[in-house]
Amino acid sequence: MENWQGAHGALTRKTILKGGGIMAKISIRNLTKRYGDMTALNNVSLEIDNGEFLVLLGPSGCGKTTLLRCLAGLETPDNGEIIIGDEVIFSSKEKIMLPPGKRNLGMVFQSYALWPHMTVRDNVKFGLDVIKTPKEASDRQLDEVLAKLGMGDLSERYPSELSGGQQQRVALARLLATKPPVFLMDEPLSNLDARLRMDMRVELKRFQSDAGATTVYVTHDQTEAMTMSTRVVVMKNGEIQQVSPPAELYKQPQNTFVADFIGMPRINLIEMQGDGQIFSNGDITIDFGWKPGIKNVVLGARPEDLKISSNPKAHGETYRVMAILPNGPETIVQLQRGKTVIIGRIGHDIIFEKNQEVKVTYTQTSLNVYDADTQNLISPINNI
Amino acid sequence: MRDPVSIVMLILLAVLAYLVIWPFFQLVINTFTWSEGSRRISREAVPGQFTWFYWLQVTAGPISGKMLYGPLINTLITGIISTILALIAGGSLAWCIVRSDMPGKRWLQPILTLPYILPSFAVALAWETVFRSPKVGGQPGLYEAILGIAPPEWLSYGVVPISITLAIHYFPFAYLLVAGALATIDSQMEESALISGAGKLTILRRITFPVVAPAFVAAIILTFGKTIGQFALPFLLGAPTQFHTVATMIYANLALGLDSMAYVLAVILIAMSLLSIWLSNRFIKKKSGRFETISGKGFRSREIALGNWRWFIFSVVSLFGFVVGILPIILLGVQSVMLIDGFYGLENLTSHFWIGKSNLNIAGGEPGVIYNKIILGATWNTLKLAFLSAVFASVIGIIIAYIAVRRANNPLAVLLDQIAFIPFLFPTIAFGAMYLTLFAVPVGPIPALYGTFTLLVLISVVSRLPYSVKTGITAVTQIGQELEEAAEVAGASWGRRFRKIIMPLASSGIMSGMMVSFVGVMRELSLIILLITPATRVLMTAGFGYAEEGLTQLTNALVLIVALLTISGELILWKIGKGRMARLREKQS
Repeated sequence: MENWQGAHGALTRKTILKGGGIMAKISIRNLTKRYGDMTALNNVSLEIDNGEFLVLLGPSGCGKTTLLRCLAGLETPDNGEIIIGDEVIFSSKEKIMLPPGKRNLGMVFQSYALWPHMTVRDNVKFGLDVIKTPKEASDRQLDEVLAKLGMGDLSERYPSELSGGQQQRVALARLLATKPPVFLMDEPLSNLDARLRMDMRVELKRFQSDAGATTVYVTHDQTEAMTMSTRVVVMKNGEIQQVSPPAELYKQPQNTFVADFIGMPRINLIEMQGDGQIFSNGDITIDFGWKPGIKNVVLGARPEDLKISSNPKAHGETYRVMAILPNGPETIVQLQRGKTVIIGRIGHDIIFEKNQEVKVTYTQTSLNVYDADTQNLISPINNI
Repeated sequence: MRDPVSIVMLILLAVLAYLVIWPFFQLVINTFTWSEGSRRISREAVPGQFTWFYWLQVTAGPISGKMLYGPLINTLITGIISTILALIAGGSLAWCIVRSDMPGKRWLQPILTLPYILPSFAVALAWETVFRSPKVGGQPGLYEAILGIAPPEWLSYGVVPISITLAIHYFPFAYLLVAGALATIDSQMEESALISGAGKLTILRRITFPVVAPAFVAAIILTFGKTIGQFALPFLLGAPTQFHTVATMIYANLALGLDSMAYVLAVILIAMSLLSIWLSNRFIKKKSGRFETISGKGFRSREIALGNWRWFIFSVVSLFGFVVGILPIILLGVQSVMLIDGFYGLENLTSHFWIGKSNLNIAGGEPGVIYNKIILGATWNTLKLAFLSAVFASVIGIIIAYIAVRRANNPLAVLLDQIAFIPFLFPTIAFGAMYLTLFAVPVGPIPALYGTFTLLVLISVVSRLPYSVKTGITAVTQIGQELEEAAEVAGASWGRRFRKIIMPLASSGIMSGMMVSFVGVMRELSLIILLITPATRVLMTAGFGYAEEGLTQLTNALVLIVALLTISGELILWKIGKGRMARLREKQS
C-alpha cells in the first residue's frame, strides 16, 4: 500500500486516496451492448474481487473482448452499470460515461499497440506524461519498471527493432508504469510462440500478484485460463455461462456447452434414457448411483473418468479400440460399442492394439449428469 | 456529448456542403434564371425570374449548332481518338515495362510519365512551335522553316493536333492504370499456359489480355472523362480556326458575356463526366469480381524474354519517350530564346525574354522574365497558391480521412467522405464556372470573393480534396486502432492523440500528399482561368494570357518555368519514394 501512495503522491488516482488503499473491486450490472441486430453482451452481471485474476474465456464472437472494451471505456454499452472501487464509471440510467483515461486502469492490447515512432522509453513514458508526473519521479519510475522487466538496455530502441517477446515486455512496462489498480489484458500472449508463451504466463502472473491489481484477462486459450486465473468466466453468445475457479470449472461444468468447451481432448457427452438411477442409450448402460429424477439426460464423462482394462475377465462392458493416439505422457484412445464412440485417456505405458476388445467402467463420482432439455447440470445433492 | 471529433465533423460537413454541393445547385439554378445581362439578348428578360430561354437557345435555338452540337461532336471525336491512341501507347508501354525484359526500364519510366507531369498546355505549345501555320497569322513554325512549305491546316489546328496532343498528355495516365493491373498478374498463370504448349502471342491474347481487360476498359472510360474536361490544350490548337470543344466554348461564352449560356454548357459537361465515371464504376464492379486474380502464396512475376526484339523495342520506346517527354521541353526552351519567332538561325538567338529589360521594339515593350513585374508577381502568386493549397488540402484531407476511417459506422462520416470526393466528378473548367456564380456577390456573412486570392486558394483546396482524402485514408488505415486506444486508456485527450500518435505516424503520407497537391496546383490552368484577375495572376494564366496576345516567347518561358518546377517536385516525390512511379515499382517487387 505504501508503494502505491508513494508512486502517485497527490496525483490523479482518486480511488487510491479515498480509502487509503487500492479499492478496485469491479461490479458489472446488467450490461447490454448491441451492434445493430447483433447482441454482443446480453444482460451481463459480474462481481470481480479486489486483486483477483479473472479470465474471460470463450469462442470467438462470444462477447469477451466486448466486455473488456466496455470496462476500458472503448465501447459504450447500451444498458447497465459499471462500478470500479466506489466510483460509478458507467451508468446508462444516470448517463455516466467516464472516458477511458479517467478510469484508473491500464490495458495490454492483443497487438501490443506500441507506438512505432517512439522509443521503448517514450512508449512507457507517455502514460506518465499524460498524468503530468514530475520529471524526477517519472524518470525514477521509468528506470525502475524497465529494469524490472529487463528492458533497461533496450530503452532507446524502437519497437520494430525488438523481438516479439521484447515487444510484449514493453507493453507490460507501459501497463505497470502508471501503477493502475486495474489491469485489462486482451489476449496479450496470443502473438508469441508456444514456448515463450509458457514463460510469459509465469512472469505475467508474478507481476500481477506483485502489483496486487485487479486483473481482467481475455483469452480463447483454455490452458492459459486454467493456469493463470483465480476465477474463469466462460461466455457464449454474449451471455455468461459459468463463473468458477478453474478446478471447479473442469470438474463441474454447469452446462453441456461449458463441459464441451473445457478440456482437451473433449468430454464425452452421451444422450441417455432411463428411470431411477440406471440409464442407457441402447449401446451402453451406466448406473449413476443416484436418481436424477428425469428420463432424458446427457451424461458428461471426461476421458480420464473411464477405467479401461485389457483383461477380458475384468468388470465392465466390452468396447472395441478404434484408434490409438499417443501424445507424450498420455495416450488417447477412441473406443466403440455398438454405434457409440467415446474417447478415453490412458497412461503412455499401456499398449493397446487396434481392434482389440477392452473392458470399460466409469468412475461414478466424477460423472456429471445434464438435463437433456435444458442442457444444465443436475446436482446429485438436490436429488438424493 | 462533448466529442471534439463530432464537432469537427459537423463543421466540415457544413463547410463542404457550401463549397461543393451548393455551387452545383447554384450553377443549375443560374441556367434557369434570367440574368441581368440578358436584357440585351432578349426582350422578354425579367432578371431573377425562371426561364427555359438559355436551355432552349443552347439546345434548339438558331445558334445551337455552333454553340452546342458542333463543340459536342468535336469533344466526342477528339476525346475518342485521343483515348484510343493513349490506350494503345499506354497499354503497350505498360506491358514492355512491367512484363518484358526490355533494358533501360529504370530511366525510361520517369521519361514516359513526363508528359503527364507537364502542364497539358506545354505539349500544345510545343506542337504549335512545330506546326504553326502562317495562314492564321503569326510567324511560321519549325515545319515550314525546315521543309519550306506550310503544313496543311489539318495538321496545324483542329481534330488531328488536339487528339494527338491530348493522347500524348494522357497516355501516361492509361499507362499507370494498365501497369497497375499487369503488375498483379501471377506469372504462374502464364507459365501453366506455356507448359500447355501455348506460344508467346497466344499467351498474351488468351491469358494476359483478358485478365487486364477490366482495368483496360476502366482506363478507357476514365481517360475519356479526363480529355473532355481539357480546356487549355484544345483552346490553343483549336480556337485560331474557330474549332471549339464544349470546354473552350464555356470560356468563349464567358468572354463574350454570355454567362448563362456558358453555365448551360458547364452543366452539360458535368453530365458527360458523371456519365463516364458512372459507366466505369459500373463496369469495374461487374467485372472485377469475376476476374479477380487469385494471388495467394507463391505469387511471383516473371519477365518475358523478348529475345532478338529486345533492343529494337528498346529503341522504339526510347525514341517515343524522347519525342513525347523531352522534345517538347527542348522546343519550349529554344522558342523562348528566339528574338523573332519562327526565324531559325543562330543570329536570331537572344536572352532578351529571360534577362532583357523593357525594349519597345521587342514584344511591345514587355521586359524579360527576371525584370517582368507581371511574371515575378505571377511566380510569387503561383508558389504562394500552391503552398497554401497543398498545406490546407493535406491537413483537411487527413482530418476528413481520420473521421471517415475511425467513424466508419457513422452515416454522417460516410457522407463527409463522399462529399469530399465530389470535386473529382466535376471537369475543372465547370468547377471554376460554379465558383464564378457562387462568389460573384456576397451571401450573408460570406463576402463576394471574386477577384481575390482567397477564392483561388479555396477552389484549389477543394479541388485537391478527393486526392488528399484518399492519401489520408491510406495513411490513417495503416495506423492500427489499438495504437490510439492505448493512448486513450492512458488518458490522452483526442487533441493529444491526434498530435502525438496520428500526425507523426501519418506524416510521411501527408508530406507526399502535400507535394502531389503542390505540383498539381502549380500546373493547374482550367480550374482557375475563369477566376483570375490581373492582381491574382499565376504563371499558368499569365502564360495563357501571353499566348492569347501572341507573345509566344514569353509564354514558352513561363510554361518552361512551370514545367521545371513540377519536374523538380516530382523528382522529390520520386526520391522519397512516394511518387506515382515509385508506388508502382513497389507493387512490382
